Amino acid sequence: MSEQLKVCLAASAGGHLSQLRRVASAWSGHQTCWITTTEVVRASLGENGNVYVVGECNRQHPFRVIATLVLCLRAICREKPDVVISTGAAAGCLAAVFGRLAGAKVVWLDSITNVHRLSLSGRLTRPFANLVLVQWPALARKYRGVEYVGAVV
Amino acid sequence: MIFLTVGTQFPFDRLVRAVDDCCGALELNEEVFAQIGDSTYAPRHFEAASSLDKETFDRHVQEASAVIGHAGMGTITMALDHGKPLLAMPRLKKYGEVVNDHQVALAEEFEALGHILVAHDADELARKLTQLKSFTPKRRAASVDAVAERVRCFVQSVERNRGK
Repeated sequence: MSEQLKVCLAASAGGHLSQLRRVASAWSGHQTCWITTTEVVRASLGENGNVYVVGECNRQHPFRVIATLVLCLRAICREKPDVVISTGAAAGCLAAVFGRLAGAKVVWLDSITNVHRLSLSGRLTRPFANLVLVQWPALARKYRGVEYVGAVV
Repeated sequence: MIFLTVGTQFPFDRLVRAVDDCCGALELNEEVFAQIGDSTYAPRHFEAASSLDKETFDRHVQEASAVIGHAGMGTITMALDHGKPLLAMPRLKKYGEVVNDHQVALAEEFEALGHILVAHDADELARKLTQLKSFTPKRRAASVDAVAERVRCFVQSVERNRGK
């Protein structure tokens, strides 16, 4: 029997997080930690390992991006995950990229809201990801190495 | 009762006003209750709350004969889970209703699959309201298990290769 892995689950609060939680059976039996964006959801994740709240950020707020970046980096350095799984958005992208640079394997599950094109965070994460899943069949045909196996909603 | 919900992140006055105008023009002769978030437009023809706790929100969904909402994934999922007909209006970036136009493609895709009805503007909303009552949403067969299994296989492969 091999040792448990440390799996870091990263998703913005709201739709991204709810899509990620739907595939929770994927990491059962392993240690987890969470990276998310608002305190409101902390309690609902609390029993499943450390929760890091890194704040909402987007392109409109460059300073907040820096704060989120630092908090994500700190979380990854502290947890040293073996695997990072994310549905996005910006915070998930940062966690995935830092995770990969720190030696983790990265799974990117692009949100179902992206129908004709990978999300911006998905496009940024793709070169760092070991597995990229999309939730629309046409999207998988559009990008090399991107898989469609189904949709979570 | 028709339940109108616009989410809580940004105002969506365009939708609240469109529904209000339909009520005023008697194109909609059913009671409406609305959750309007930060919208500043005050509806004249129905009762509205800024936000609702989860329990109250769910009760309104259950009691509603149909739902009108923005085309957010949360709203679409909620309507499908409850088997309620949904008429969705995508938020648009050009009106400052959202940060990008992802709701348009999402709404159109779900409408093409028979899951929801979509109105892009007030005129289309008025037209489609008449269809909403007789609209039976096609149930969505999500494939959560297939996705979870694919991710689980990946995690297992990492586990097997560790230390090699």
